[in-house]
Amino acid sequence: MNYKYIEQLLSKYWECKTSAEEEQILRSFFSQDDIPDHLRQYAPLFRLQADESRFTLGTDFDQRMLDVIRREDLSGARTSGLGVLRLIVRQITPLFKAAAVVALLLTVGNVAEKMTVGQDSVGQRSGAEGAYVRQENISAQIKIIDQTHSESSIAKADSLKETTKSTSVGTEQPASKEVIR
Amino acid sequence: MKEIDFRTDILPLKDQLFRLALRITLNREDAEDVVQETMLRIWKEHSKGRDPDNISAYAMTMCRNISIDIVRRKGRGNISYDPLTHDRTDGSMQADERLVFDESYDSIRQFMERLPEKQRTVLHLRDSEGRSYKEISEIMSVSESDVKITLFRVRQKLKEICERIIK
Repeated sequence: MNYKYIEQLLSKYWECKTSAEEEQILRSFFSQDDIPDHLRQYAPLFRLQADESRFTLGTDFDQRMLDVIRREDLSGARTSGLGVLRLIVRQITPLFKAAAVVALLLTVGNVAEKMTVGQDSVGQRSGAEGAYVRQENISAQIKIIDQTHSESSIAKADSLKETTKSTSVGTEQPASKEVIR
Repeated sequence: MKEIDFRTDILPLKDQLFRLALRITLNREDAEDVVQETMLRIWKEHSKGRDPDNISAYAMTMCRNISIDIVRRKGRGNISYDPLTHDRTDGSMQADERLVFDESYDSIRQFMERLPEKQRTVLHLRDSEGRSYKEISEIMSVSESDVKITLFRVRQKLKEICERIIK
């Protein structure tokens, strides 16, 4: 049998020029029973490499690991449960704030209204009576305005008459003066 | 990105993690603890929404780091694992040939165990796990050329050992 190929692979192996697949070929070759004498010295090395894969962990490890992960997930779930609660509270807080602001505004508005009502006795009257009284007040105010306005008009008219009178007197004066002359 | 599942994505890595941890700690119990700790950390990271792109390389890096931490903490204690006591030789060997084979096999194993961690890990990842140079460089956070140089030196020594025993 020609071992040229294996010898070439072996030379490449020492130089780190073999691919992972070629190295697997070497391991397979040296795991055989029938190895030529001149290559036998390398057999323990490749047999040792192949033997490494025999170190494994049993299924008992899987079960132990899964138990550990289950406990971890449970504690994680507890944490995330609290997290969800915190998230809900965080989302609801603005609503509480808004409700508090509305309540405050209502209270302030109510107090302000009561104070206004205290100052204005009309506010204590209700319905048509209140409206009637308000109308009376408005009419009275209009009257006062009208009165003021008419008084000022009379005063203006009087002052105008005076002005006119004085003007006519002025114009007559030169004539009289001429008559005197 | 695909959602990571513990049973299908993390648990199947247990053997390669165990072998790497065993190569570094040289202690079966410690190696088992390392694998458990590695998997737990990956799962915790996953719970925080941090999943790596290459979970295998990420797990191997984490496994290596935890193993190195254990060795540093405990010191290089006595080797505590069964170095494969199964029949390592084939039936076609003569008694003297078997003797030579066993001696060579043990010498190589002991040589590997005495290597510095970096050389041991490179050799393990390449020759036992069949990892590419790129993967090894990722796992060990070194350049590919650094991986090749390290491996070249170790293989040259291994060649010497193989040839010396026969002589």
